Amino acid sequence: MLQQAPSAAFEPDVVVVGSGAGGGMAAYVLTRAGIKTLVLEAGRDYDPVAENSMLKWNHEAPLRAGSTPDKHFGYYDATANGGWTVPGEPYTVAEGSKFRWWRSRMLGGRTNHWGRHSPRFGPYDFKPYSRDGLGMDWPMSYDEVAPWYDRTEKLVGVIGANNGLENHPGSSPGVLLPAPKPRITELMIKAAANDLGIPCIPSHYAVLSRDIDDPHVPRQACFNASPCGRGCAIGAAFQTTTSLLPMAKATGNLRIVTNATVTRVLTGADGKATGVEYFDKAGKVQVARVRVVVMAASACDTAKILLNSRQGGLANSSGQVGKNLLDTTGTNVRGHIPALESRPRYNEDGLDVAHLYIPWWLYKEQAAGKLDFPRGYHYEIGGRFGAPGASLPLGGMEDGYGASLKEDARRYYGAQLSYTVRGEMIPNAGSFCELDPDVKDKYGMPVLRFHWKWTEHEIRQIAHGIKTAKEMIARLGGTVLTPDRPPEEAIEDGGVIIHELGTTRMGEKASNSVTDTFGKAWDVGNLVIVDGSVFTSNAHKNPTLTIMALAMRSTAHLVERMKKGEI
Amino acid sequence: MSVSRRVTLGWIAAASSTTALLGCDSQAPKSPKVGRWEDVALEPLTAPGYGQDPNLVDPMVPWPLTLSPSQRETLRIAADLMLPADAHSPSAGTLHLDAFIDEWISAPYPVMQADRPLIVSGLAWLDAESDHRFGKNFAQASDAQRREVFDSVAFKDKVKPDFVRPAEFFVRLRALMLGGFYSLPEGMKDIGYMGNTPSTGEYPGPTPEALAHLNAALVKLNLKPV
Repeated sequence: MLQQAPSAAFEPDVVVVGSGAGGGMAAYVLTRAGIKTLVLEAGRDYDPVAENSMLKWNHEAPLRAGSTPDKHFGYYDATANGGWTVPGEPYTVAEGSKFRWWRSRMLGGRTNHWGRHSPRFGPYDFKPYSRDGLGMDWPMSYDEVAPWYDRTEKLVGVIGANNGLENHPGSSPGVLLPAPKPRITELMIKAAANDLGIPCIPSHYAVLSRDIDDPHVPRQACFNASPCGRGCAIGAAFQTTTSLLPMAKATGNLRIVTNATVTRVLTGADGKATGVEYFDKAGKVQVARVRVVVMAASACDTAKILLNSRQGGLANSSGQVGKNLLDTTGTNVRGHIPALESRPRYNEDGLDVAHLYIPWWLYKEQAAGKLDFPRGYHYEIGGRFGAPGASLPLGGMEDGYGASLKEDARRYYGAQLSYTVRGEMIPNAGSFCELDPDVKDKYGMPVLRFHWKWTEHEIRQIAHGIKTAKEMIARLGGTVLTPDRPPEEAIEDGGVIIHELGTTRMGEKASNSVTDTFGKAWDVGNLVIVDGSVFTSNAHKNPTLTIMALAMRSTAHLVERMKKGEI
Repeated sequence: MSVSRRVTLGWIAAASSTTALLGCDSQAPKSPKVGRWEDVALEPLTAPGYGQDPNLVDPMVPWPLTLSPSQRETLRIAADLMLPADAHSPSAGTLHLDAFIDEWISAPYPVMQADRPLIVSGLAWLDAESDHRFGKNFAQASDAQRREVFDSVAFKDKVKPDFVRPAEFFVRLRALMLGGFYSLPEGMKDIGYMGNTPSTGEYPGPTPEALAHLNAALVKLNLKPV
């Protein structure tokens, strides 16, 4: 348990709103620089060791641990008081839009259960507008961020291997942890992909394949069991509750208050931030007065707090707060592979995460105008002897009953492959969030209303992803199990991939962006944003690693400014 | 017997609860009878779920079970027929799959509440069909007679028009029983799931036997072996 009793003696210089990927990293950097830091977390305290459900069996939980509206990702998912709905904190969706918003109300936020897939953005990804004229360039280059990726990967612990592929940059020597051996299903996917000219390489995940020694917070290498989504009591799968937060606490400069829901950033007559207003566990309004406010509430909650902080929104002279809302495109194609039927059994859990993946590979074709969509995607590949739960996936090949049904189960178990498309979305004017004029949450604050639109760029990209997955399944002599749907229907709704980004984007100019390259709000010099809301674009590469690398870079810059007495 | 203690306690606590079966007197609209199938009308369940922050270390089922003893008996017999004992594992009935199905359809969540009328109506259909053919209900019928009833709904592309709804019931029941059965220790052992077992050191990866099988398959597909 990381929360400490409030103490009058603790006078924070900085308040960090949120304890997930961005907030955890900001707290780590600040406290190690000797700066007294208060972290306010809207959710409850969470003990990743005492509360962990690792190694429990599906049959020990209600409904074989399957998904319900109370626990959308299954009974054991490390999400507390959250999911697609949060009690007392509704949101609305504009007519004609489809959007879903995943939140978690616990210390560590969504890092307790996240997918841990951690690819780097590449040089093209920071300059998308320069490359194809769409969206906006980031205010920095890949080369400026690369050292922060190295430091973040080293701190977080990332498995993988450098691959030398275009726009998939490598890490410095000694940074990555060894990649685990691929599973049979992954080797099969790789064989067919390579035959079709498609790469399939070790994936990068924030999971340890070696111990990480730390005097205060030692973390153990993965013990090759238990789904990462349950949270990781041994610290192998990265989450802030077993790493950055206890490391920050060990400095003596950290105070965490949980059940503290920030509703507004407060400002003085000079326009500078003076602190934040929050509701405590008892529902009483509290104020934290500080020199600097760091926002890390997640892209949409940060936008909500800024929009609620004053008429017209705080730090919003550009009008961009809440705009440019992004998610990742997603769809899934599954196939049944006869060659995998009745294959020899072995323990296929591995590190739970995918050991191989298919990165985007058609940059040259895209640059040459040979494709009808401008931005790439990757496949997260799957298929294994998975832990049976509420359903046993046999690809619908089972039939009848009795002795032959048991034979079917043995034959078809582990004989399906899955190709999950994750692609880049380009900001568009139809995708944003704003304050709902009518609906308020339990704190009396206006809630977010979401608007969502996919454009032809995303739809055509998904069509390509589906077509190519089918070709790979066909190359393996398999049959496609996923029903044929047009890409407009096959694409997941906005928000479903849970990569919300872009609502306070950074940029070169105060006129069209909310923050500068270091997450410093153009309008409010002592307000720094370190969550996914600052993303100028959303490459198809899962964002959390980049959130952390940028949070480290922005917070280090903040520390410099504070040490120089600039704020 | 591989049911956790807390789950079992939940079942025992629920044993006194009454069934919400209303039968023909209900106000709810009924679909026209097709063959021996009739959609049974049920009162909605009002028990709470386990909430958004349940205890993950010591799980329990908080809702009462709703099936009657005779419905449970029909389910148990159906489970034994669906997944009978063989050299690899016991039968589904002896592993209490009837209790799992009861837990499932009694859960106050939309997916389970969509399954509930299908399963309850299906259990009634097993009796009605058996009575129509043999003059006795499913439990009283012989093993061969029960198989005859199953045979009319169990096989893809061989379901006659009068049996479309009963076949939907059967497919759903089979899916629930497959998940319920193979997630038990006896089922996992049968199917060869060897995970959820911690080990130290690097993940060893596929066995030589598994790799040999893969390479034989790749050669047949004219792909490069690993």
